Amino acid sequence: MESGQESDHEPSPHYREAGKALESDQEQHLSPATPTSSQGWGPRPPGPEVEFGGSSLCLLTLLLPPLGRAAPISPAELISQAYSLALYMQKNTSTLLQTYLLHQGSPFSDPGFSAPELQLSSLPPAAVSFKIWHALEDGERLGRAQGAFLALTQHLQLVGDDQMDLNPGSPILLAQLGDARLRAQGLLGNMAAIMTALGLPIPPEEDTLGLVPFGASAFERKCRGYIVTREYGHWTDRAVRDLALLKAKYPV
Amino acid sequence: MEKTDCTALTMDVYSRWRRPPQPVGCRRMRTSSSFQWLLLSFTLLYLMHQVNSQKKGTPHDLKCTTNNLKVWDCSWKPPSGAGHDAVYEVCIKNRSRSCNQLEETNTKILALSPGDHEITVRRLHDPRSSMSKFILNEKNISLIPDTPEILNLSADFPTSTLHLKWNDKGSRFPHHSNVIWEIKILRKKSMELVKLVTHNTTLNGEDTVHHWSWTSDMPLECAPHYVRIRCYIDDLHFSGRKEWSDWSPVKNMSWSPGSRTKVFPQDKVILVGSNITFCCVTQEQVVSAQIGNKMCPLIHLDGKNVAISIHNISASASSGTNVIFTTETDIVGAVIFAGYPPDIPQNLNCETRDLKEIICTWDPGRSTELVGPRSTDYSLYESFSGKNVKFKRVEDSINESYQLFFHMIPDQEIYNFTLNAYNPIGRSESTILVNITKKVYPRTPTSFKVKDTNSTAVTLSWHLPGNFAKINLLCQIEITKTNSMEELNVTIKGVENSVYLVTVGKLSPYTTYIFRVRCSTETFWKWSKWSNGKQHLTTEAIPSKGPDTWREWSSDGKNLIIYWKPLPINEANGKILSYNISCSSDEETQSLSEIPDPQHKAEIQLSKNDYIISVVAKNSVGLSPPSKIASMEIPNDDLKIEQTVGIRNGIFLTWNYDPNMTCDYVIKWCNSSRSEPCLMDWKKVPSNSTEALIESDQFQPGVRYHFFLYGCRNQGYQLLRSIIGYIEELAPIVAPNFTVEDTSADSILVKWQDIPVEELRGFLRGYLFYFEKGERGTSKMRDLESGRSDIKVKNITDLSQKTLRIADLQGKTSYHLVLRAYTDGGVGPEKSMFVVTKENSVGLIIAILIPVAVAVIVGVVTSILCYRKREWIKETFYPDIPNPENCKALQFQKSVCEGNRTLKTLEMNPCTPNSVEVLETQSAVPKIEDTEIISPVAECPEESSDAEPENHVVVSYCPPIIEEEITNPVVDEAGGTSQVIYIDIQSMYQPQAKPEDDQENDSVGGAGYKPQMHLSIPPTVEDITAEDDFDKTAGYRPQANVNTWNLVSPDSPRSTDSNSEIVSFGSPCSINSRQFLIPPKDEDSPKSTGGGWSFTNLFQNKPND
Repeated sequence: MESGQESDHEPSPHYREAGKALESDQEQHLSPATPTSSQGWGPRPPGPEVEFGGSSLCLLTLLLPPLGRAAPISPAELISQAYSLALYMQKNTSTLLQTYLLHQGSPFSDPGFSAPELQLSSLPPAAVSFKIWHALEDGERLGRAQGAFLALTQHLQLVGDDQMDLNPGSPILLAQLGDARLRAQGLLGNMAAIMTALGLPIPPEEDTLGLVPFGASAFERKCRGYIVTREYGHWTDRAVRDLALLKAKYPV
Repeated sequence: MEKTDCTALTMDVYSRWRRPPQPVGCRRMRTSSSFQWLLLSFTLLYLMHQVNSQKKGTPHDLKCTTNNLKVWDCSWKPPSGAGHDAVYEVCIKNRSRSCNQLEETNTKILALSPGDHEITVRRLHDPRSSMSKFILNEKNISLIPDTPEILNLSADFPTSTLHLKWNDKGSRFPHHSNVIWEIKILRKKSMELVKLVTHNTTLNGEDTVHHWSWTSDMPLECAPHYVRIRCYIDDLHFSGRKEWSDWSPVKNMSWSPGSRTKVFPQDKVILVGSNITFCCVTQEQVVSAQIGNKMCPLIHLDGKNVAISIHNISASASSGTNVIFTTETDIVGAVIFAGYPPDIPQNLNCETRDLKEIICTWDPGRSTELVGPRSTDYSLYESFSGKNVKFKRVEDSINESYQLFFHMIPDQEIYNFTLNAYNPIGRSESTILVNITKKVYPRTPTSFKVKDTNSTAVTLSWHLPGNFAKINLLCQIEITKTNSMEELNVTIKGVENSVYLVTVGKLSPYTTYIFRVRCSTETFWKWSKWSNGKQHLTTEAIPSKGPDTWREWSSDGKNLIIYWKPLPINEANGKILSYNISCSSDEETQSLSEIPDPQHKAEIQLSKNDYIISVVAKNSVGLSPPSKIASMEIPNDDLKIEQTVGIRNGIFLTWNYDPNMTCDYVIKWCNSSRSEPCLMDWKKVPSNSTEALIESDQFQPGVRYHFFLYGCRNQGYQLLRSIIGYIEELAPIVAPNFTVEDTSADSILVKWQDIPVEELRGFLRGYLFYFEKGERGTSKMRDLESGRSDIKVKNITDLSQKTLRIADLQGKTSYHLVLRAYTDGGVGPEKSMFVVTKENSVGLIIAILIPVAVAVIVGVVTSILCYRKREWIKETFYPDIPNPENCKALQFQKSVCEGNRTLKTLEMNPCTPNSVEVLETQSAVPKIEDTEIISPVAECPEESSDAEPENHVVVSYCPPIIEEEITNPVVDEAGGTSQVIYIDIQSMYQPQAKPEDDQENDSVGGAGYKPQMHLSIPPTVEDITAEDDFDKTAGYRPQANVNTWNLVSPDSPRSTDSNSEIVSFGSPCSINSRQFLIPPKDEDSPKSTGGGWSFTNLFQNKPND
């Protein structure tokens, strides 16, 4: 547990607080159904899987406050909270991608696999030029991130379903995909709270996935899953930057 | 196993392309070989042409074909010069209305019967024309079917299958015949032949649409495919030539690709080891293709489409094997799932637990390597009822159990199940025919209860769910008692979901049992699991026997002590609460009642000897039968105490059969060290037996037990034998205590005491007595058993012996004594003692006395001898007239003396004679010292001894001759001429026992003169009377040794030089001096000197004796 909080870079005081909150949450609702890793897929980030179960519960708690509490929380606190969550998510994105690729067979599972040319039209790409990104207004920036994570939650659900067919015997992968989806939802809720607090218009929740190609071939599903898990990482990275920028604007 | 061989496949494809030229080459070879024949036939043709050209004026070359055998289609070539409007008359001979006029050069005629037919063709309206006559036979007719037409060509792209449909138009043919269809599949725009197949059908007089399907090895999407067909009718009734029809027009099947790059086939499930071709339909240039991580060579198709061939594909992981084409801008691919068809389900078994539902289980066998939607599905089909059950897979369960439940159909006992297994690759099945009433595996009995029926029977009840109304159940009841287990099988009529009752009898009262039950059916298949065990204690019953009883009279004989043993649990039949005892004789009855259980002994004061005692045990149910015993003891005078030793853990006793003993034998025993009456235990033996093995946990090795064998008669018990014994003998634990009763100089009397029985631990077999010389602390009697020679051992086997005398010892010596006792069990410890024998006083006295006595006797004997032989001695040693031969002073002249005896004395003349005056002493016998001063004459040979007495009065003295020094160099060296030895007068008379004396004598003798000191010895035996005289004459000794004549002052003290070899008597004075002529002690000296000298001289001169 403790090792999950230790990172190479110095965490900010806020993150540290949030980390403690996470920790206490995990202690309270230590999930019995935590997936365990038995396969050796090389070096893994320090966060063990135990965090997934606990974190998903934690995410729900993070998700709930803005909706349930009567006393308004200051935007700075919300931003800080969301930032902590984004940082936490950032740690596990590479694990998710690795786990995912490992289960798709060669050449996906080959070391160093990368296919940047693969893109999903239904998923907005996270890559953006710094200039444009920086010039965006807060609402616009948050809105884009929110839209992306909305799409990601739907896509992660789709990928999870796909993998149920392709890898029914790999509970680890399925659990990680489920956890990622919950985290994305959590961040989504946090962002909505921030936008509400800042008085920004919340973009309407839309069906980004649209008409799902259910007849997608196994290969397409594998690629789709790859793009989703990859973009999930990219968008998480971007969200961290978004929130860091916002955090600088709204200091606690 | 990603070794999917693309390369081999491409080679295969390539070789297929290359194959066509080969047959051409072969044909060419054949052509060249028949070149000559061809040449010949050309020549023939030319000649025929020449003939024909002559006929060109008439219709010629009539040819007839048929496509349906009904109508012949005949044509001919018009005569030269004939216009298009020419009219021909065709006549068939032997046919009514057989002539037709027509404006064409062909005609259809109905099929002619077999045989030659004459046909004439004549051009009408042409006067030049002549009539052509042809002979037409069926054999000359060619059967060329109509070109078939493909009705439909469809494709099933997912399966890469082409479906072909065409009509055989069989209604046109008059009779049934076989048709051979040839179908040609062409691929790519270049129409490469892929497949040429023949397909046989029959014509049945009706138009029939035929279907034919073909599965392509390459997905149909990859390239356009073309199909053509032709046929050949093989009519048996037709004797003419049969030819293939023309090829049908090409039908093509192509797939219209969209703009997107696509890979085919997608998500295909194939058998491991099979070959497959993937193609990429694209508008872009494909850079590479790979399966998994293995690159594959590209096969170029139309446009930019490419394909790869995968050979011998290996089993896929759960998410399939990826096939990827990389284009310049994109990645496209497909997933293939290679696995196995389902194995035949193994060990299919159907059984029922309650006759309501059938459970079929199986083992799927080899894994198909396919998961998820591609995994194996199972369905169970029952053929009699036609019902079907499908297997629902539980994806998440790890230990997937393959079982299906099938609801039983009322009144159906026989079921024929077929289990179908199928997956995308294939299917398999397994069947089983069961009589379900014989395959009953009942559930575990529940609600198991035990109820008492009586003390030896219980009723068991349990519930068994299931519809067993039509069958009998076989149940097994396990009855477990301490140390024993019994299984009881019972058959019960089955009922529906009910409780079953079974009574179990023949149990022991007051015993704890554990019951449990399991069931099967009468037609045994499987036992159910055991129900829970139920522990049950059966109720009590009256004790079945009276206690085992014994009695002992107290030591004073007034009280009778009654003993009894507690009843064993199987005879007590309950908890024994108390005992009742009654002693009855003819007159009276005494009784003791309600003796509580733990007490197993009672004492009754009895006035008489003759009682019958009965003991009754009582439990909560009732009283046991009494056990009776007579009190009387019948005396037995003839009794000896015997000994016995146990065998293993018991004592084995035998006795002779005695018919008088009517009831039984009793062996009682006790520890012999206990006081009487003692009783440890007893054992009753039937009267007909003559032996008993007494065993008891109380027996200990090394303890002496006393066994008493009693025989039972009517009146009472008689002691028959009294035996002491050990279960096992051990070595004594202590050493015998022994003391030394008496010691003497050469013996020790040892006495010991018996070892107490408790410490003996066996029957005493004897003592071992060891003794050796030794003192406390130094004795090494450590290893007594080693049989060291210096340790003496006495084995005392006479047990009555309590003393031992050890004789032949040495006096005043310390002895180490050790005594050990031994039994058959071993030798006991040792007791040791050190004893010193007394001093032997008599021996000491003897030891002193004997030497003394011997010395005395020797002395006496010597004295006597000397006395007896005094004459001889005197003559030998002290002759009155010295033997001249003994005169050593004259020895140097011996030869001279011998040669001329008379002259010897004469030669002395040159010396100046000295006159010696003889002084008269008081004694009558004059002292004749002068005789001692032996004259040279006196020293002459003994022959002249007779004359000695006469000559001794006047002696002329001969001074020593100087030359003597030269003859004795030894003396020279030792003494030197200058040496002067002083001997006083006392030393002269001292008896010298020193060895030097002999030397002196020798040397002196060698010097020629020997002083004659034995003055007292008479020269002859006859001169005894004159003995005194001689004594008195021994006053002067002439100092004859000239060597010792030294000048010494008379006052000089006595000088006895030890270094001086020469001790001589001599006076330093001149020989003229008279100083010494008077002896200081006249009386004593001769005697003492006589003793001292006698021995030596005696021995020296023995030969002279």
